[in-house]
Amino acid sequence: MQFSENNSYREYFVERFGVPAEIIEKYHFYEHGRNIWAYTGKFIKTNNVECVGVRALRVKKNIKPTTAFLRVIGNHCTKNVVELTNEQRTVFMRGQKIEGTFSAEPGYVVVKHGEDILGCGLLTRTGLESQIPGKYREEESWV
Amino acid sequence: MDETQIILEKYRDIVPDFENFIESMRTPQPYWLRVNTLKISEEKLVSRLTDKGFVLKRYREMNAYQIASMPVKHPGATREHALGYYYVQDLASMMPVLALNPKPEDNVLDMAAAPGSKTTQMAQIMQNTGTILANDINIGRLKSLAANVERLGTTNVIITRKNAASASFGTRFDKILLDAPCSGEGTLRKAPPARVLREKDYMANSKMQKEMLKNAAKHLKEDGKIVYSTCTFNPLENEEVVRFGVETLSLKLEATKLPVPAEKGVREWNGITFESVADSVLRIYPHRIDTGGMFIAVLRK
Repeated sequence: MQFSENNSYREYFVERFGVPAEIIEKYHFYEHGRNIWAYTGKFIKTNNVECVGVRALRVKKNIKPTTAFLRVIGNHCTKNVVELTNEQRTVFMRGQKIEGTFSAEPGYVVVKHGEDILGCGLLTRTGLESQIPGKYREEESWV
Repeated sequence: MDETQIILEKYRDIVPDFENFIESMRTPQPYWLRVNTLKISEEKLVSRLTDKGFVLKRYREMNAYQIASMPVKHPGATREHALGYYYVQDLASMMPVLALNPKPEDNVLDMAAAPGSKTTQMAQIMQNTGTILANDINIGRLKSLAANVERLGTTNVIITRKNAASASFGTRFDKILLDAPCSGEGTLRKAPPARVLREKDYMANSKMQKEMLKNAAKHLKEDGKIVYSTCTFNPLENEEVVRFGVETLSLKLEATKLPVPAEKGVREWNGITFESVADSVLRIYPHRIDTGGMFIAVLRK
């Protein structure tokens, strides 16, 4: 399966997260099955390609941003950004839901704690669901 | 004689200050880290880790910090590591990239890239511009490479799975890093070997490394630069491969300087002479600044 360039996905980051156009234009987006990759280099046509930059989106019924790419561009997001308290951060980074209301539109949001971009959350009517992948979830033994 | 000495005794005549060398190889290797300045400043990360109880010692003015002590068993057991703010990488292992000296907008091939320490170091220096084609053949190691590229937010890397000795990489490159698979004697302080290698094992490695260097030369632009490096001490995997590059592939050997103590290459080993290359290649030994071992040569087309 080939990686084919489709930069229309830039629009998603501009509209959903308010990323300035001049920032998102630095990234070229490549479709590969249901995954969309964000890449800042020059594309090299070769075989046996496994990854092109960082996986940015997964497309099924909806478009879902990845924690990895939100951590790359999160500092440029001006819309649908949720800031957590210390206690909420711990819950979120363990992959759990935080009950309550947050000032953002329902759907996928960028989740921050201080200067740290933690990743992707799903805001529903009842709270914020952590979308942090298992590999990034925090363990109790960590500092 | 312990296992370390059984493996390394054959190098008594070529490693300077051999008794100290053996002694250092018996002691655990300290951890080093590199701050991922794509995501955080050195100052901020050092402050955060220090507040958590880490004691870090900066090496000269470099982005390289020895972890003198830490409040966790493994240096990766922190929130900052998960956020991609640093990479645990030995100081000696940072040197091949400094020798290659990648610049923003360069087109770079990293032929045997997993697990990605040098790939991500280059991406950081290149500020996520230009292109790095990072390759490896082992699927398990490729997963580590992809995970590290993602964790560090490295967006200028294409990852391929190919045999570095024979594959086509689709274009020619300004710079190529061939951090070749090797017998890994320079990492003995971190992990004991599965078995003691024989001469024929070193010769098989040397043959494979020469094939990789030949393929690297094929993919290099005119006046482009190759850094050939290994983390082992055996001259068959080091000076002999570089000699092949100079005498058979017509590559030009270029002298280089590193910001760490390093020795010149071996002049003779088991009846083979390396006079033509010994003065221009570099060997980093663990007993000099408490690191792993490394061999580095810079070649041009």
